[in-house]
Amino acid sequence: MALPSGLHQSAIPSDFETPFPPLVRSSTAPTGLRSHSANRSHLAPEDAYAPLSPPRRLGPFDGGGNGSGTDSRPRRGRRNDPGRSRSRRRKRFQKLLWVKQSYPDNYTDQATFLENLQRNPRVRPYDFWPLVADSTVIVQHVCSVIIFVVCFVGIFQERVSPVSVVGWSSFATFLGWLLWDWWVTRETQDKAKGDDARARMMPGGRAYRDYRPPLRQDSTGLDPSMLNASTVSISSASNLPSAASSTTNLLQEHHQPHRLFPPPSSSNADSLGLLAPTYIHSRSVSSFNSATSQASAVPSPPTHRLGPDGEPDLSLSTTPPSPPPARNSRAYVRVSTIKSAILIYFTLLGLSPILKSLTRSTSSDSIWAMSFWLLAINIFFFDYSGSSWVGSSFSTTGTTTKRMPVASLSTNAALMASTVLASRLPSTGQVFSLTLFSIEVFGLFPVFRQYARYRSWRYHAVLTVLLVLGAGGGVGMILGDERGWPWKKGLLGMVVGCLIATLAMGGCSWWLIGLQKYKNEIYGPWDPARPIIISRRHWDDE
Amino acid sequence: MAPTYNIAMVSDFFFPQPGGVESHIYQLSTKLRDRGHKVIIITHAYKGRTGVRYLTNGLKVYHVPFFVLYRSASFPTVFSFFPIFRNIVLRERIDIVHGHASLSSLCHEAILHARTMGLRTVYTDHSLFGFADAASIFANKILKFSLSDVDHVICVSHTCKENTVLRASLDPLMVSVIPNAVVAENFKPLDYAAEVSAGSFRGHPPPARPLGPHDMITIVVISRLFYNKGTDLLTAAIPRILENHPQTRFIIAGDGPKAIDLEQMIEQNVLQDRVEMLGPIRHEEVRDVMVRGHIYLHPSLTEAFGTVIVEAASCGLYVVCTQVGGIPEVLPSHMTVFAKPEEDDLVAATGKAIAALRGNKVRTELFHEQVKSMYSWTNVAMRTERVYNGISGAISEAEFYGYDAANVAGSWSATRGRSGVQSFALIDRLKRYYGCGIWAGKLFCLCVIVDYLIFLALELLFPRDKIDICPDWPRKERKVDGEGCRVKAGRQQGDNERRAMDSLDGHWDP
Repeated sequence: MALPSGLHQSAIPSDFETPFPPLVRSSTAPTGLRSHSANRSHLAPEDAYAPLSPPRRLGPFDGGGNGSGTDSRPRRGRRNDPGRSRSRRRKRFQKLLWVKQSYPDNYTDQATFLENLQRNPRVRPYDFWPLVADSTVIVQHVCSVIIFVVCFVGIFQERVSPVSVVGWSSFATFLGWLLWDWWVTRETQDKAKGDDARARMMPGGRAYRDYRPPLRQDSTGLDPSMLNASTVSISSASNLPSAASSTTNLLQEHHQPHRLFPPPSSSNADSLGLLAPTYIHSRSVSSFNSATSQASAVPSPPTHRLGPDGEPDLSLSTTPPSPPPARNSRAYVRVSTIKSAILIYFTLLGLSPILKSLTRSTSSDSIWAMSFWLLAINIFFFDYSGSSWVGSSFSTTGTTTKRMPVASLSTNAALMASTVLASRLPSTGQVFSLTLFSIEVFGLFPVFRQYARYRSWRYHAVLTVLLVLGAGGGVGMILGDERGWPWKKGLLGMVVGCLIATLAMGGCSWWLIGLQKYKNEIYGPWDPARPIIISRRHWDDE
Repeated sequence: MAPTYNIAMVSDFFFPQPGGVESHIYQLSTKLRDRGHKVIIITHAYKGRTGVRYLTNGLKVYHVPFFVLYRSASFPTVFSFFPIFRNIVLRERIDIVHGHASLSSLCHEAILHARTMGLRTVYTDHSLFGFADAASIFANKILKFSLSDVDHVICVSHTCKENTVLRASLDPLMVSVIPNAVVAENFKPLDYAAEVSAGSFRGHPPPARPLGPHDMITIVVISRLFYNKGTDLLTAAIPRILENHPQTRFIIAGDGPKAIDLEQMIEQNVLQDRVEMLGPIRHEEVRDVMVRGHIYLHPSLTEAFGTVIVEAASCGLYVVCTQVGGIPEVLPSHMTVFAKPEEDDLVAATGKAIAALRGNKVRTELFHEQVKSMYSWTNVAMRTERVYNGISGAISEAEFYGYDAANVAGSWSATRGRSGVQSFALIDRLKRYYGCGIWAGKLFCLCVIVDYLIFLALELLFPRDKIDICPDWPRKERKVDGEGCRVKAGRQQGDNERRAMDSLDGHWDP
């Protein structure tokens, strides 16, 4: 048997057939192994209490270190016997604990050790341009925060009239709302048409019976008998295969899931997240959306959780309302939106004097620092995914994850920042303008941006460019001299802003792709398994 | 005559707290004492349990006053444990410090200080950690620090060994796999005692108790009801199993945050008469619950060893378990049905197990004897003793490390200083710590130097010749090696302790 070349001093007859050359301890022993015990110049624990201790005695604790290198004869004898006897009864190493292994406990099998180790199994390589496209969302948000700060500085330095700021922004908000309303109406009509056709195709009500899973684990607290009764009634009513009944069928469907399951999300109410009074009314439309989307979905177990709005649902379900036509409900929403807008307007107007003197006893420096941190929180905790918005009410899979499209921590931080900033302003009008502006920028605008992105990539790109230009121009004007012509500086700012945005988007994407080579995720059997549960009701409990 | 050692077991987790690590330490210490070693246990003070205590067999426990942070893991102070630790070590003339459990900061500190004092150290890992989340990264860094200068590591399963080797960047040769064990006497099947007394014992197991097609099959689940114990899987699977198999019922013991989900499931599916929830039970009641069933269902999502499935098999239960962590290594395939951690697969595996039992294809009455021969604490103690022999040089290095195969000798050079008889010289230790990371390496070196300075100061302030040497409990003389090591317990301590430890061990003879 040939010795592996690296071995020295311990000539082991490797008489057993192993696929790998045997590793001998002394061959891997450090060269300093012998020297350390002889070399007393190194600091050792004994030096703490016996500074002039004689060279270490050879106790049972030192013998191994010393004997291994110098004296090979007795070891060879010891090595031989177990080695040979082992070779006869040696079986293949098994990774089992209950088997009496013929190997020592610290044996490491080269073939099976770490065989289940996976490195980077779920890595998805990034592409440059999609990454740049995705980063526009961040750019949009940062730009809107910058615009807000610029407006504040403008108002604070009295270079911009607060009335013009709030006027223009309110006008823009109104335009945005009109556009958004138009989009939603059109989408609803499209869906309704598609669903109308589908409802004619299949016997009505069947879908809803299929919705009920074999195990009802939901905690709505609804009376099951009532549910059954309503299901039966709807199915009997809609079993008439007439074209004329299809519309009423649709409407009843519109109410049916409403009673069975609270709507996965109320899209319109979300968009007007601040307009609380409209909530119940806007539900009818949203449930229309969700009903249609659910009806077109494959029958799947309803995955919903009883939200904070469980109460209105129950009240609705106990008093079945007469089905209002879709047109009517849209008008309801519009009226109630306007109503709540007016409500907020006057509430802010009333609160402004209080806000003005809110932080009078605090120094300005603390306010600047605080608002900086709050805005940083806003930027870092903002929900850039946008998937919640799309997934909640407009997806056809029927799965709902989150209700609010905007992260609440982020929004709250931004509103608090605007409040403390507003409290620095000298006059009530300025305070009012800035607060209203902040609600528009931080409360409503993100919703619009996300919806625009969902709607069309072109709108999104145009919006991004506009925001970058606006932010850059605004910063340029603010930084520019007050006496000079501000537009020149603004133009310069726009150019610089565009450059910075392009560089940041491209550079960060490129950097992220470059960093991928350092990715080293390790997965193995020791990781907690991810349970796959089909009738899952509590996904997001964890 | 093999050498005997003075061993200190150090862990945050020990009696009176129940648990796997606790009973592991107790059983191992008892069996090591039976083999003639001196064992003391160092843990932190529990409520109503401070100072020095003696357990059965004269096992001495030091309850060190320490601030408890979370779930009886003590507050990680790097150096504060040193003075009292040094005092105990000198007083008891300890040779080997054996730490347990990776979440125990007491254990890590003890390993660091023991190396500073020039003692041999062993560490036993009982758990699995991932690499992805921030908490794991932190825990792994601490482990790397502590295990940079350990002499040997023991893991409870091969999966655990792989995990620990990766987490602490160890030389695989210095990691031994020594499984847990069960006290088979405590986990006998229901009709076992009668059979033994009747005389039909070894080689003639009791005849199979045939299970008719309409007999009720009971499925037992004993687990803490946490997410990582797979309670969600259980909640999803129970209604489907009960629906598919009319003549079955469940007994669930254990408590935890997921108990409410189970209760909700029972109410919604109106299964009150088929699912019995016992709530939390004590460890000594586990056997009494287990013998009420035929199948043990273990839906855990991660498990280093899974002592409970060995206990269940020892009680003669057919085991259905998820194939995660170290579980596939633990039991032979004729005792288990494996399932993927998926609801469908778990339901299917349970169905398979029920069908096998109904067809009387499984000789569950043989399980107890088989498990008894597979796992015993005496065996664990023997194997642990071999580790002690290896690190202290009583068996030669080549014998301890040499049989292994590796591709090229040079490829191990990076870790060669780490395994084997390690140098205590400070500069060599610093070299080992320095490699832990760009920043962490320097920080760790700083800690080690400070630790050495504290050691110097302690030697000046409390010279070692002023520390009393504690008289040893009379050691047992060592009997022959092997499984049949039966040593009569010498003396018993107070009734109180004995009754207390009864829950951990039924093996002592009065």
